[in-house]
Parts: sequence; structure tokens; C-alpha cells
Amino acid sequence: MDILARIPQLLVYGVISGSILTLGGIGVSLTYSILGFSNFAYGDMMALGAYIALGVFTLFASWGIADHPFGALSFGFGFVLACIVAIGLTAVAVVLIDRVLFKRLRRSSPVILMMSSIGVALALRNIIQFFWGPQPHYYIEKIQIAVVVPGLGIRIKPDQVFIILVAVLLVVLLHTFLKYTKMGKAMRAMADNSALARVTGINTNRVILWTWVIGGMLAATAGILAGIENKFVTPELGWQMLLSIFAAVVLGGIGNPYGAIVGGMAIGISEEVSTAFISTGYKPAVAFIIMILMLLVRPTGLLGKRR
Amino acid sequence: MSLLKTEDVTSGYGGMEILHDVSIEVREGEIVTIIGPNGAGKSTLMKTIFGLLKATAGRITFAEEDITCLPPDRIVRRGMAYVPQVENVFTSLTVHENLEMGAFIVTTDCTCRMEEVYDLFPILRARRKQRVGKMSGGECQMVAMGRALMLNPRLLMLDEPSAALAPNLTATIFDRITAINESGVALLIVEQNAKESLRLSDRGYVLAGGRNRLEDTGRNLLANEEVGQLYLGG
Repeated sequence: MDILARIPQLLVYGVISGSILTLGGIGVSLTYSILGFSNFAYGDMMALGAYIALGVFTLFASWGIADHPFGALSFGFGFVLACIVAIGLTAVAVVLIDRVLFKRLRRSSPVILMMSSIGVALALRNIIQFFWGPQPHYYIEKIQIAVVVPGLGIRIKPDQVFIILVAVLLVVLLHTFLKYTKMGKAMRAMADNSALARVTGINTNRVILWTWVIGGMLAATAGILAGIENKFVTPELGWQMLLSIFAAVVLGGIGNPYGAIVGGMAIGISEEVSTAFISTGYKPAVAFIIMILMLLVRPTGLLGKRR
Repeated sequence: MSLLKTEDVTSGYGGMEILHDVSIEVREGEIVTIIGPNGAGKSTLMKTIFGLLKATAGRITFAEEDITCLPPDRIVRRGMAYVPQVENVFTSLTVHENLEMGAFIVTTDCTCRMEEVYDLFPILRARRKQRVGKMSGGECQMVAMGRALMLNPRLLMLDEPSAALAPNLTATIFDRITAINESGVALLIVEQNAKESLRLSDRGYVLAGGRNRLEDTGRNLLANEEVGQLYLGG
């Protein structure tokens, strides 16, 4: 009974971590569907975004831009502005990585691209470590008290509500983009059949550019949200989440951004709920087991198309 | 006036030569059909013209301009559209979105053109919001042709437009091909269903073993006894 009573609270934690996994998963899935490879650097692109935000925020503070917390949140306008700037800078950095590296490998096999993305992952993590050191950096120093939701017996912090709302907002924006804009439709067309996209005259280079920009922005946002949730960042921030993100993507169907939403939530919730039954240390194993089972039973994922 | 011309084009896949010195020509407003046995290099020729395969020798011109080494997205801009034999529609997109993608490079409003395409294939208008992946083979072929026509091309290349279609649908597709041609578009068609296609063609080529074998008017090729026995099923 004691265990069951904890489940509603764990579901809430699951939705929070699921929101972050969803954003990461959508980014991985988009890159996969357009460029055809699993981007192992995605976790470190998230960390890069989180650290750039930290850097910009520190810079703002040195310029005297004050950060008065918004309402119940533990951060304010200065922090949000720093994050928006960092999201843009991360997109630029990711596009540069593409220009310098991935663009030259466009015609290579997916394995080569995947291996080079592991190289990018290591390089990014060490660049972060070079500038900020291996020790954790506090993102938000203020301690926040959780609010009890009356009637449901669950507790949630205002910052966590913010995380969920940002994820929902971005999912809605992305959906609108993919469904109603010309470039969004071209992205779906290229993911569907890239040879036909070229024959149709779709500017595939521009589609790839947009994919990296959106992927970089989602990575930075996911990294920043993870920093807000953990209160601190380490260079391993993204790498540690990468397994769960891949599990989410495989579960939902790789290449399908909508699958990443389902998969991200499912993995986030299963990881958190599992802590009611087994030690917290096994969380990554839970994601791994779900991924392996899915690959055995239905390798195309829940929403993936059968080939 | 000559619209498309290949002069002694040689090409193939990864070092394996499939086409040897193939020369064909399509004039403004014509329907030209290429027939030949399986493996004759018909599809290879189409892909080479459209820049999907690299010509290792020879020259391809469109409207008197050299397009031999141009990539497909540049060729499209010159007024040539291509419908591949398979995977020629975006299955996860709706009919309407497929047509919109056909007009990707058009910056002006394409509603008008879309109405013309819907007039040509009225069944697509009724299904404009449907996902193409759920539609029949004949409807997919219409979507594929409609998508290519969105650019208002001067030349439309069709690779096996009637492959795997029921006979009544084949008739519809050929009827539409005639209608497209009457609107001033030249067509280059590769066909298995050679009789039907040659009947409405101005001229035809026979390709075998990756080489030009014969060239004549559609009517003469149909009447040619050797062609009949070898390539038209007696």
C-alpha cells in the first residue's frame, strides 16, 4: 500500500523528466529522419546549450542585468533572456559543426556518420570541461519549496511546472511548423523520400540547415531544462541522458517526431515509477530493457512505419 | 524545335556500364516512347537525363542548353519534370501536400495551377486531404503525375506509368497523358505496355542491351514485324 501511495507522485516526476526526454528525442529523431544517422553528439549538444546559457547569464550578471525571480519561479527575466540567447548560439554552433564535419560526410554510410558523431560528442564534452572544468556548476542557487496540489496528494515545484509548460509549448510550435509551413512540409517530404525530394526540386541543403537549426535549439532547451531541474550542470549532463533519449526514440519509432513524444513520456514515467520497486541506481537499466524489448518485439517502434 | 537531346550518352551504376552511346531526341510538343526488353537501360537513361546518374560520356541538352552535369534540383528549374517508376509519391503526406511540394521552387501563388491539376485528375480533388500512403496504385500514379505537373514543365518524363495497374486504370492514365500533351507539354515515356503507348506516340525508340536499336514513328514501330515479335508480345 505504501508503494502504491507513492505512485501518483512518481508519475509527476516521470512527466517532468519525460518532458526533457521528449525534447531531446524529437531532436534526435529529426536528425535521423533527414540525415539518416543516429546522432550520438546530441547529448553533448544539450550540455553545450546548458553551458552557453550559464556563460551568457554570468556575462549578463557582470553587466549588471539583474535577475529578479518571476512570481514563484526561482529565476527571472535575466535568466530567461540568457537562455534565449544561448538557444540561438547553440543553433549556430550546431550548424557550424555540420559545415565543418557532417557536410563533408553527406554521402558516407550511416555508420561513418554515427562514429564521427561520437567523436563530436567527446570533443564537445572536453571543450566544455576545458572552459568550465569538470566540477558541477550551480544553475540556480535559490532553494524552492514544492507546492502541494490539494486533493491529489502530489507535490510539484513551480520550476517543474515551467519545464512541463515549455515542453508543451515547443511541441505545439514544432507541430505547427511541420504541419502548416512550406519548410515544415518539405522536411516531412524529405524524411519520407529524400530521392524524390531532390527530383521534385526541394532544396535539400536548406532543409538540412533547418533541421540542424531546430535540432540545435531543441538540444539547448532540453539541456537548460535539465539544468533547471537538477539545479546544477556537469559536462556529462547530456551524455548521461542520451541512453534514455535513444530508448525514447526507439520506443516511439525512430524518425517520427511524434513517436518521440510518446516514447519520451513513456521512458520518463517508467524510469521514475520503477524507483518505487527497485533502487534508483537502476533507472538507466529500465530504459535499456524497454529499448531492447521494443527492438525485439517491434523494431519500428510504436508509431514507426513498417517497411 | 528540339527540346531534349542526348548525344552518344554512356552511363551506368558504379563502374558498371549500362548505356552505350545512346542518342534520342524529343521535340517540342511531342510524345516519344522508349520501348525495349527488361534490362535494356530504359530507366537508366531516364535517371541519367535527370541527373540522378552521371553520364560518363556524351552530351545531354535541354532547350539547346547543356544539362549533362546538372543535379536534379537544377534541372527541375529549367522546365523538366520526372516521375520515377517506384516510390514516386510522398506517402506520409496528403494529396494536397504532395502537390504543394511539386511546386516547392515556385515562389508565386500556385492555387491556380493546382486547380488545373485537379481538373485533370478530378478524383484527386475529392481526396485532397487523404494521405497518399493509403491510396490505390492508380491514384498514386495520378498524384505522382500531378506533382510533376505543378511546375508547369515543358517536358514530362514518365517511367512506366502503367506498371502494375489494372487495365481500366491503364486506359485512364493514357487518356490523361493525351490530355497533358494537348495542353502543350512534351512527354518522354518508358513503357512496358508498349502497344498502348506507341499508339499515342509521335515517335518511338527501341533500346536493347543499352544501345539504340531502332527509331521510327509510333505507327511504323507498331507495324514493324520484328518489333512486334521481339518487344510487343507477338
